[in-house]
Amino acid sequence: MASQQPMTSSMQPTDVYGGDEVSAIVLDPGYSSIRAGFAGEDLPKSFVNSFYGVQGEKVVFGDDFIHNPLANLEIRNPMSKEGLVEDWDTSTRLWEYAITSRLTTFKQADPRTNGLNDDTKDILVEAVDENEKALEEHPLLLTETAWNSAKNREKSIEIAMESWGCPAFWLARNSVLAAFGSGKATALIVDVGASTASVMCVHDGLILKKSIQRSPLAGNWVSSQLRSLFSTVEPKVDLSPHYTIASKTQVDAGAPSQAVYRKFDTEPSESFRALEEERVLTEFKESVVQVWGGPGKLNATNQSGTTNADYIRSQPGRVFEFPDGANRMWGVERFSASEGLFDASAALPSLNSADPPIQKSQTIPDMLRTSINAVDVDLRPTLLQNIVVAGGSSLLNGFNDRLHNEVSAMFPGARVKIHAPGLTAERRFGSWIGGSILGSLGTFHQMWISKKEYDEFGASIVEKRCK
Amino acid sequence: MPPFKDENILIIAPGSQTTLAQLGLPESFTPPTHRFPSRMFPAPDGKTYEPYKIQARKKAVAGDGDVDMDGTEGNADEEEEELLEYPDDGEGAIYPLKEGRIENMPAFLALLNHVFVTLSPVLHTPVLLIAQPAWTAKNHEDITQFIFEKFKTPALCIMDSALATSYAYGIANAAVIDVGFEKVDITAITDFQISARGCVPQSGGDGMTRRLTDLLKAKGFTREMAEQLKKSPICEILPPGTPLPGTEAATEEVVSNPAAAASTGATSSGPNVKISEAPRGPGPDTEVGEEDGEDDGEDKAVDDDGNLDIATIVTSGKTQEFLAKMEKEKEKKPRGRAGQLAKEAAEAAALARPVRLPNAKRPRAIFHYEEVQFDEPDAKRQKTPEPPAAPADQPMAEEPTAEASPEAPAEAPVEAPAEGDAEQIRDQRAAKKEEKRREREKENAIRGKRDIEVGIERFQAADGGYMDAIADTIYRTILSVDDVGKRQDAWEALVICGAGSQVKGFREALVTTLNSRYLVSPSSATMFMSELPSNLATPSGTGSMTPTGAFPTHHPPSASAVNPLLLAATTASNPALNPNMSVTSYNTTQAHSSHSQSPTNIKVANPPTYFPAWKSYEDVVFLGSQVAAKVIFVTDQGLSKGFLSRVEFNEEGPSAIHQVGLVY
Repeated sequence: MASQQPMTSSMQPTDVYGGDEVSAIVLDPGYSSIRAGFAGEDLPKSFVNSFYGVQGEKVVFGDDFIHNPLANLEIRNPMSKEGLVEDWDTSTRLWEYAITSRLTTFKQADPRTNGLNDDTKDILVEAVDENEKALEEHPLLLTETAWNSAKNREKSIEIAMESWGCPAFWLARNSVLAAFGSGKATALIVDVGASTASVMCVHDGLILKKSIQRSPLAGNWVSSQLRSLFSTVEPKVDLSPHYTIASKTQVDAGAPSQAVYRKFDTEPSESFRALEEERVLTEFKESVVQVWGGPGKLNATNQSGTTNADYIRSQPGRVFEFPDGANRMWGVERFSASEGLFDASAALPSLNSADPPIQKSQTIPDMLRTSINAVDVDLRPTLLQNIVVAGGSSLLNGFNDRLHNEVSAMFPGARVKIHAPGLTAERRFGSWIGGSILGSLGTFHQMWISKKEYDEFGASIVEKRCK
Repeated sequence: MPPFKDENILIIAPGSQTTLAQLGLPESFTPPTHRFPSRMFPAPDGKTYEPYKIQARKKAVAGDGDVDMDGTEGNADEEEEELLEYPDDGEGAIYPLKEGRIENMPAFLALLNHVFVTLSPVLHTPVLLIAQPAWTAKNHEDITQFIFEKFKTPALCIMDSALATSYAYGIANAAVIDVGFEKVDITAITDFQISARGCVPQSGGDGMTRRLTDLLKAKGFTREMAEQLKKSPICEILPPGTPLPGTEAATEEVVSNPAAAASTGATSSGPNVKISEAPRGPGPDTEVGEEDGEDDGEDKAVDDDGNLDIATIVTSGKTQEFLAKMEKEKEKKPRGRAGQLAKEAAEAAALARPVRLPNAKRPRAIFHYEEVQFDEPDAKRQKTPEPPAAPADQPMAEEPTAEASPEAPAEAPVEAPAEGDAEQIRDQRAAKKEEKRREREKENAIRGKRDIEVGIERFQAADGGYMDAIADTIYRTILSVDDVGKRQDAWEALVICGAGSQVKGFREALVTTLNSRYLVSPSSATMFMSELPSNLATPSGTGSMTPTGAFPTHHPPSASAVNPLLLAATTASNPALNPNMSVTSYNTTQAHSSHSQSPTNIKVANPPTYFPAWKSYEDVVFLGSQVAAKVIFVTDQGLSKGFLSRVEFNEEGPSAIHQVGLVY
């Protein structure tokens, strides 16, 4: 069987780009960031932090504004931990910011949610047309998670059609787009994002509902593991984000920091501190944390009679310097923070005792097993050869090796092939890239839900059309 | 299509305050020939825009020879009123760019048109437009459409300003910090491509002016005064941790870090000798010499009056000897409280006399404020035929603007290098200089000068989190570069440009802030904590190498696997792994790096030195745009799709601009 699957006949090769077509805008919102850009381009032009700041009445969006240690600046996120939109008003404004800051300028139209009275609506449309309605030139391709609620889906088409005046709209599952981004219509998607990790099977561009598996064991969970780690190592690591430090002094490894701290009249809010701490943890994850590549688990015994952890102990570690100047070598600890993704028993106890301990079924190999066992036996070999890895947290070093080893051990005899783009950006923006490909296909333009259809059938059309 | 020629290339670099432009590339690149204030005025018809303020006023004289040609022709024959241009009146101006964003597109396009008409290039002139990082994709399309339809240009390239700057410096990986009028743009560039962007809104040069205005409001400072103070040499930004003069060593708001201050050697404020420990006469009575007085201060430590010239002592490098001498003298003096007091009083008195301290050590200083005295309208009208004097809030635009409109056609051929006779050019320059001098004299005639004394507020232009916000944005921007290995390269090539960075001490203060807060020091961890022999781990542990970004591949351990201890022993002879040489071993190919963190080193890139005409580098973006224009239009001729040609535009429309050029 060919490892590369051809796209279904309804799709054309991606290099056919209709020059005179108005390019669609692809919007891919996630828990940690929002990606937006024009279909047909290789990377999203706009990349906006999902967190936003509230200071009294003022609401600020974007990285350029939310990192100032101001008094009373509260940091919030309009998305739920499951990657679903919770706060629609703010989400809409945040998405508008993502589009207007880099893509296209528009004056903000009145949000008109009441579309019941047709007569008034027509008048309104004409009135608003004068001051340039948001996106009236661009069709919008919005992504959603596979477990999005019907209510949320209807709400999103309402915003696109009513508030922004899009001429056409489509709602696509981000996992399917991640498969498209790797050039596949049938694939097993392992998507490890910030708040959620998910595994599911996609066949001919459609998600097999029974195969959807998800768990909170993703990037933010690794961050919380790091916090647990920092509180247990000796000496304890004090996580002070950069904004608290006026200047740092070089100290010996393991020595207490001698930084000079900044003084604030009013301490910035807790939520701000959390956001800034997360930046330090992100840097730590980028430069120190690693996944044990296998074979076997980190604590398993290998052929030479020692455990893998012992082997790592014999290897040089990595040094990390915290913003306050404290630094130390991280040896086997840097593997243990991520081991929980694959081995529930190796997870560090959470700092917050209210959190339930993670289950074995939440780990990535187990989700993969459950997912693949839920689909037809005939499909399984194809899926195993087309495992697509997406999401920023999958960039943890060694992740793919470990996944490959785990899956091979789970399905001995099957040919396992993992497809993960080598470029960092392609992995992080995998589903956006898929959306960009889809949105630029000539034939896809016949699939859009047009404004006319929406006016005729209402918001429920999205349930019928976008499967 | 015939190839483009050097003399036919039009470069326009719009900024929030000043738009730089030039027609033709000289043999050796020069600063822009034209500077236009980036502002437009609503025309009397209420729909279009004019480059100068036009107001209707009662016709007084019959002959209107002193009115410029454009904008008035249509109305010239009106009986009652005539329309007059006020080229130096900034009132009611529209600035189409705000914080780099295009706020008013019609006005911006009118500005482009004004620039184009003023330079009046021939038909076969490709255009290179420098884009601000804040412009959106739609902006690019609109501008593309306007330029092709209005200017009939054969080719257009839109290039990002930060990228142009990196072209000027010729460095592939850089972090460009552009301190503009109201914003600071930070762009991380890897392999001559933009890989991350950040912006500090409400900062830039104007942010400092606003801060000064706020601080000095109580003393009756206007914005205009603060602006001039900011540009005067007595306004200085001290590196964080430097005690303000007049206050005791450790000030409250910034807790000083002696180590950092010493190591980075606050160069702008003179050598770091503890002058502040000597009791000083703070007080407003302290008479201090002018800034330029420092130049004639000769190496006499104690001048004729017996006063100490500490600055001279310090600069002469004989501080130690001098202190020893002082110490001896002290011992000779009678001990006891009375003697002590007498001595202190004497010293205080000595210091109260004119003492040449560096500016950063003086609690108070004087600057000359040039005030525009408003004349009668009649006088103003007489002035009209003269070259328009730049309004005071636009000093950047001063001379060249003044010459721009009336002399433009005459000047262009002179600048053209075709006849490149050096002597002739020198003559021209001399003549120009002379003219400028006369002009300035004229200006001074109507400008009042006033000396204003300012206290330590002049050091606080960038306080209150201003520098911190910029430093944090730089850090955030570089850390969002995807390629971990390239981040360090960007840290080692900071480019600080833009007019706002010209404030004294700005660069030093910024670099010091970055160093004291973000620099990752070599760690001792690998030496003392590793289970491995130190000579394997140490070279990497020094953190002196650029992070490779490549993680080691861990081979599964087996019986046949090489024992790491053995490996360490066998590689001990390798000098690159020798701990004693590790500091100098920049080994990027090394398989293991314990630091993937950056920055391990922060450096400011050196400006290019091979363009003799470029003396100051705040407008370095224009140099880069000339380099780029040469490469894109002349050398490459479109082979690598550096520009959008007219044919392509006709076929694909304005959105084709995204497929060419150097923006994203």
